[in-house]
Amino acid sequence: MNVLIIEDERALARELEIFLTNYNYICEVCYDGTSASERVAVNLYDFILIDLGLPDYEGLDLLKEAKRSNPDAAYIILTARAEIYDRIKGLDMGADDYLAKPFSLLELQSRMQAITRRKFGLKNNVVELGDFLVNLTERTITHKNDIISAITKKEFDLVAYLILNKNRTVTRNQLSEHIWGSIINDDYDSNYIDAHIKNIRKKLNAYASADWLETVRGLGYKIRITH
Amino acid sequence: MKLRTKLTWFNTISKLVIVTLFVLLLPELIKNINQNYTDNRLRKQKDKVLQTVKALGIKNYIQDGQGYAAYTPIKDAYVSLDEDSLIENLDTIQNEQRKVETDTIEYRILSHNFYVDKKKYLLEVGISLDSVNETTGPLQNIAFEILVGMIILTIIADQLYSNYVLAPLRLIIKTKLVGTKFPNFGSYKEVKTSTDDFQQLDLSIHQMIQTIESTFLKEREFISNASHELMTPISILQSKIENMFEEESIADELKVRMLEMQKILNRLKSITKTLLLISQIENDQFLKEDKITISELLQEVYDEISIRLQDKNISYECIVTDDWCLINVNKFLLFNLIFNLVNNAIKYNREDGSIKIQALKENNDYVVKITDTGVGIAPEDLPFIFNRFKKLRQSLQQDSFGLGLPIVKSIAEFHHIKIEVQSEKNVGSTFKLIFSTGLIG
Repeated sequence: MNVLIIEDERALARELEIFLTNYNYICEVCYDGTSASERVAVNLYDFILIDLGLPDYEGLDLLKEAKRSNPDAAYIILTARAEIYDRIKGLDMGADDYLAKPFSLLELQSRMQAITRRKFGLKNNVVELGDFLVNLTERTITHKNDIISAITKKEFDLVAYLILNKNRTVTRNQLSEHIWGSIINDDYDSNYIDAHIKNIRKKLNAYASADWLETVRGLGYKIRITH
Repeated sequence: MKLRTKLTWFNTISKLVIVTLFVLLLPELIKNINQNYTDNRLRKQKDKVLQTVKALGIKNYIQDGQGYAAYTPIKDAYVSLDEDSLIENLDTIQNEQRKVETDTIEYRILSHNFYVDKKKYLLEVGISLDSVNETTGPLQNIAFEILVGMIILTIIADQLYSNYVLAPLRLIIKTKLVGTKFPNFGSYKEVKTSTDDFQQLDLSIHQMIQTIESTFLKEREFISNASHELMTPISILQSKIENMFEEESIADELKVRMLEMQKILNRLKSITKTLLLISQIENDQFLKEDKITISELLQEVYDEISIRLQDKNISYECIVTDDWCLINVNKFLLFNLIFNLVNNAIKYNREDGSIKIQALKENNDYVVKITDTGVGIAPEDLPFIFNRFKKLRQSLQQDSFGLGLPIVKSIAEFHHIKIEVQSEKNVGSTFKLIFSTGLIG
């Protein structure tokens, strides 16, 4: 999929490019609004990531302009300007999502996946994990047709996020940012993630082994899917 | 006590004192006046008699050595003229008794010796004291009535004038000081007055408010700009570290160290985000259009936070005695307010401790109380707990940076929620939120 990254902070644009290329996206980068405006007029993209704080262009104007030539692209606003009105305006103008800087790259990737799922209406979103079946659309975990109802919303979010980033170690910070991102408090410790994982294991182990949910010592967690 | 009341009291009391003094002195004064007046009359009478003697001779009064005496019919005045054999010369006015026929009457008597043809005569002119004092009573009454009338008039005049003259001061207090929340950012409205002192006061207050406001604005602007500017470099660093994590070639031991870096970066990020949030709240950048019942709100907080109770095996009790609906609030902010208070209650609790949350009506106030069995706050620390970056001794080993309660305070102020804190060291703390009636739907 084609991604246009419009970000005037070169170092950040570069990191976004490296990361998304790693995830098999085809990336183009613009450092200013003028060149971005030219690009969107010529090319068609699947994703356009716009930084609202461009030096030469009003970000929201650029969004409006791009929407005309690229109506089918998915737009994600990236900004350090976390003003609530900008956010509402951006979403009103047809942006699909909004990420406030600083954000985790994994979070960006998960939002992009969510948009893709939404746009293409992926139906069969069922993942097999050992003896369990995880249905990401219906948000259920089943074991031999038994729905495990003890799993809470938060716990399912955790499992789903690990599945999305399967075979990759996800740190506690990344998990915490994804699941607790909106809560502002003065903790910078994310040890309570361990408590969540412990609960998930306990609930699943009552049915069958859940050894696919691995602890990576010192780093975080990962779900291993081999097939 | 208000200045005006004080002035009124002073005026009234001082006037009453003067009136009392005057009333006490009045009989004495009137007596004196009367006496002087009587004495004058007596002297005039004497002069008249002496003139008559001079013009017509003593024989006009005294013939054949017989003394002369004349009374008015009711005996309130008399004149007597007689030969005198005493050696001393009299020229006095004094009160004496005289027996007139059967009555003994007290007179004010002028006695005067004079010589005619080498013969000594004594002239006495008397006015009865009764007739002298007859006028004292009415005079006193009239004087008293006029006095009271004048006092009432002056008190009213004082009252009206002080009212008029103090009106600008009242206006200054009412419009500039009472109920003014800083920063006010209202435009300056001059209080019209011809009193220089008030003009100066008004201007000084205005200048002070301006200074406060501009400092306030600068601080807000600084925090907002600084946090925004920090966001981008943090963003870059975070992305760099995350990208390094993705690289297969980096060994796990190195990744653990990178994770440490990420943790520190996370801390920086949290601080910046929190400061930005506080500055956004203070700049009124949040809408207050949500509606939620208190029981729902507490349930949402519990759902998010319950996982953190396990670590120290803390028991959690939530009693909603009176449920109520909050209107015109920001749900996200209120959630964060309660979340932070409960989070603190967990963080500073002891092993196997407990947390009790109550929502109830207390004397017409809608109150949420959050009570923990934690380390508590020393009384000397209590005034500072809402200050930014103020970390109390007992919280030093905790993973926090001293912005939890400042967030709570900003959100509470934004919603006009009052916070009261009670705490006892090593016993626990209670945070009490009092919701203003404007928030109750």
